Amino acid sequence: MSVLKPFSKLPNLDTASILLVENEEQVQQGLAEALVEDSAQAVNVRLARSLPLPLENEKTRPRIDLVVFILNLTSDKSFKSANESLKYLDPGYFLGKVCFMVTNARYASGNMGRLDAVRKMAASLHCPLLFAEVQQSPEGVTNAARRLLTILKVASGLVPNTSSLYLSNLTRCTKPPDIDQPSFD
Amino acid sequence: MDASDQMNEPINQNDGLAAEACTQKGTSPADMLRIKQQMSNHCFEMSVQLNAGKSKRSCSASEAERGLPNYISELERVKMVHFNSTLALHRMQMWHAIGEKLKQTDPDAAALMAVGDRCMVLCSKIKELQNENRNLQENITEIQKKRLELKRLTDEKMKEVEELMSNKEHPDSEKYKTLLEKGQATLEKYKKMTTMTQNVLRGILLACKVNWLDDPKLRETALTLEDFPISD
Repeated sequence: MSVLKPFSKLPNLDTASILLVENEEQVQQGLAEALVEDSAQAVNVRLARSLPLPLENEKTRPRIDLVVFILNLTSDKSFKSANESLKYLDPGYFLGKVCFMVTNARYASGNMGRLDAVRKMAASLHCPLLFAEVQQSPEGVTNAARRLLTILKVASGLVPNTSSLYLSNLTRCTKPPDIDQPSFD
Repeated sequence: MDASDQMNEPINQNDGLAAEACTQKGTSPADMLRIKQQMSNHCFEMSVQLNAGKSKRSCSASEAERGLPNYISELERVKMVHFNSTLALHRMQMWHAIGEKLKQTDPDAAALMAVGDRCMVLCSKIKELQNENRNLQENITEIQKKRLELKRLTDEKMKEVEELMSNKEHPDSEKYKTLLEKGQATLEKYKKMTTMTQNVLRGILLACKVNWLDDPKLRETALTLEDFPISD
C-alpha cells in the first residue's frame, strides 16, 4: 500500500511542488504550463491520473506540498476515480494540503446531484472547492492557475505567518444546509 | 510511530541541506531570509503533526466543530495584534534610520532634507488653503441665512397685504350695496313713469291722427318717442 505521506521527505528549498490528479487528463497540461509561467518562485508540477502513484518514481519524486483533484462534472468516472484515490492519501494531507477543483460546472445543470455529492465530499474533508472554466478561454486557465498558486504558496510555507491549516479554515467548503432537499427543477 | 521517526531525521539533516544550498546558489540575504521563513513554516507544520498524535483525547467531530470558531477567532486576534506591533516596529525602525541618515551629510541626506522641506511648504500651503476655504464657507452660510430671513419676512408681508386688501373690499361693498339697491329702485320707478308717459303721448298722437310730420317741434318729440327704448 503506497500511501502518499506529507512529511516523509525533506522539503525543497524555495520551490513549491504540486500534484494534479485528473482522470481524463484534459485540463492538467494547460494548467501545469500556466502554473509554471505565472509565479516568481520555482514551481514543480507533477501530473497523475489517479493515486496510488507508481513506485518507480518514488526516489526522484519531491515532497508534494499540495494535491489537487480535478473533477469533471459532466462525467461520472472522474468523481469515482477521485473517491478511490482518496484512500491512498495520508490523513496528514487533509489539514489543508488537499484541494478540489471542479470544471464544466456550467454544463452540469442537469446533474445537480453530482455537484451536491462533490460539495458534500469537500465539506466532510474540510477542503477548499474551486470552480474553474477552462474550456472557453485561455484566461480561464490563467485564473485557475493563479488561484491554485495562492493556495500552493501557503502550503509550501512561502507565505510568512500563514500555515496551510490556517488557510484551510478560512477557505474550506461548507455544506449549505438545504443540500439534501430537492432542487427546483 | 512511523511518522515521528521519519520526521526526526529530516530535522537533523536540515542544517546540512541549508548549508549546501547556500554554497551552491550564492544567494542574496533577502533570498536567505525568505528560505529561512519557509523552513520555519515547515518545521512548525511538522511539530503540529507531531503534537497532534500525542494528546489522545477522544471527542466527537461535532464537538470539535463547535469549538473551532472560538479558536479561529482567538488565533485571528493574536495574529492581528502581532501584525500591528510588527508594523509599528517597522515604522519606528524606519524613522530611526531616517533620523540617523539626516544627521550625516551625504548627498542622500541632502535629498532627504530637500524632500522634507518641500513637504513642509506643501503642508503650510494646504493649511492656508483650508483656512481660506473655511472662511469662504462661513461667509456663504451667513449670506444664505440672511436670504432665508428676508424670504421669510417677504412672505409675512405678502400675507399681511392680502389680508388688508380682502378686509378693505368687504366693509365698502356692504355700504355700497344698500345705497346701490336704493338707487336702482328709484331708477326703475322713474323709468316706468317715463315709459308710461311716452306710451300715453303716442296713443294720443295716433288716436287723434295728428299730423306730426309737418310741425318741426312735434316731429322732434315724436321721433324721440320712437327712439326711446321701451323697457319692460
